[in-house]
Amino acid sequence: MAAIALAEVVTADPGAPLAGFQPMGLNHQEARIIDATLRCIARWGMGKTTLDDIARQSGYSRATVYRIFPGGKEGLVERVASVEIARFFGAVAQRMAAADSLEELLVVGIAEVSRRLRDHEALQFVMAHEPEVILPKLAFSHQDEVLSAATAFAAPYLARWLGDEDAARAAEWVARIVLSYTSNPADDVDMGDEESVRRLVRAFVLPGLVTSIPASV
Amino acid sequence: MTPSPRERIIEGAYSCVARYGLAKTTVEDAAREARVSRATVYRYFPGGKQQLIRETIGWEASRFFERLMQAVEGSADFATLLERALLFAHRAVADHAVLQKILQTEPETLLPELTIESHRLLALIKAFLLPPMQRDPDITPGLDQERAVDHVARLLLSFIGSPGRWDLEDPVQVGELVRTELLAGLTTPADG
Repeated sequence: MAAIALAEVVTADPGAPLAGFQPMGLNHQEARIIDATLRCIARWGMGKTTLDDIARQSGYSRATVYRIFPGGKEGLVERVASVEIARFFGAVAQRMAAADSLEELLVVGIAEVSRRLRDHEALQFVMAHEPEVILPKLAFSHQDEVLSAATAFAAPYLARWLGDEDAARAAEWVARIVLSYTSNPADDVDMGDEESVRRLVRAFVLPGLVTSIPASV
Repeated sequence: MTPSPRERIIEGAYSCVARYGLAKTTVEDAAREARVSRATVYRYFPGGKQQLIRETIGWEASRFFERLMQAVEGSADFATLLERALLFAHRAVADHAVLQKILQTEPETLLPELTIESHRLLALIKAFLLPPMQRDPDITPGLDQERAVDHVARLLLSFIGSPGRWDLEDPVQVGELVRTELLAGLTTPADG
């Protein structure tokens, strides 16, 4: 869902502040229903999952699910997407904030993002079996929107080592690299493995950034 | 040169897709357009409409790639070749009336097919880029060339689909993009 949600956040609110990416407080019932929805989508897909399936999986009645998420399946799926994007960015932000060098920032950021996309069972089911649901949000001009959301998220971290303009440029560049290697994996690069990502970053990313580190650093 | 029945059918299908879209084009339409029988279409495309549409998209993607190869022919060096490829392909995608129309009206049908097609295009672009990359004296010696050409081909495809923050109409920006991002790690920057 993270990638769907990424596109949706941008479409809904182009100037979404980073605060919007923080994990949101969910009560126990909401968390259980959201978790059940993700399990259902991972098993049956977006199209075939019904509210009854979600109720059964969560152990609540259909009426309870409706009371907690009055928007029906559509509203619930939207909410799941926004919760997943918050989790996604929250987890990635935590890893990136702890990095103590530009190389480390790139390596942990890329690997964390790639693992979270790759290991997200609901997202992977939809990509494999219902690509028509998700690809229209990710290709051509919509990929530009995803790139700009990724840039807004990652640039402040890169700006610790690069000038603001270069940080934004690098953020978008790296987002492209992640999208390409995760959507169409290369035989010889494992994007979830930090040593493999480190080789990629050293070979093709850092050489394009070293010259733009401000002289004062 | 007379096109083979197979080519005529694909050309016919492409005209129909341009006119009616992917969902509404039928095997009958393509047969009529190509002036062959419905049975002939099924003989060449036993998978019916789905196979015909898939191969028609592949055919147009191949034509796009051939035009791209022609556009960059005779480039003095690898950087120039990449610049010309980006300028040409960006314009060609923007000006491709059928592609733009279907992206608006039937993205859910087209994009899964284009994703499959992009894997094949990536392989074609890699094979095409490798010799000029190897010939270029500015490419850093000792580079893992297979790895490098895969990486450059991915970036090229990414920018062709989505220019992001770059104005790919502007040759100055395209030159900067190629130097700073596509060739990062492939060349030792002269101005570093």
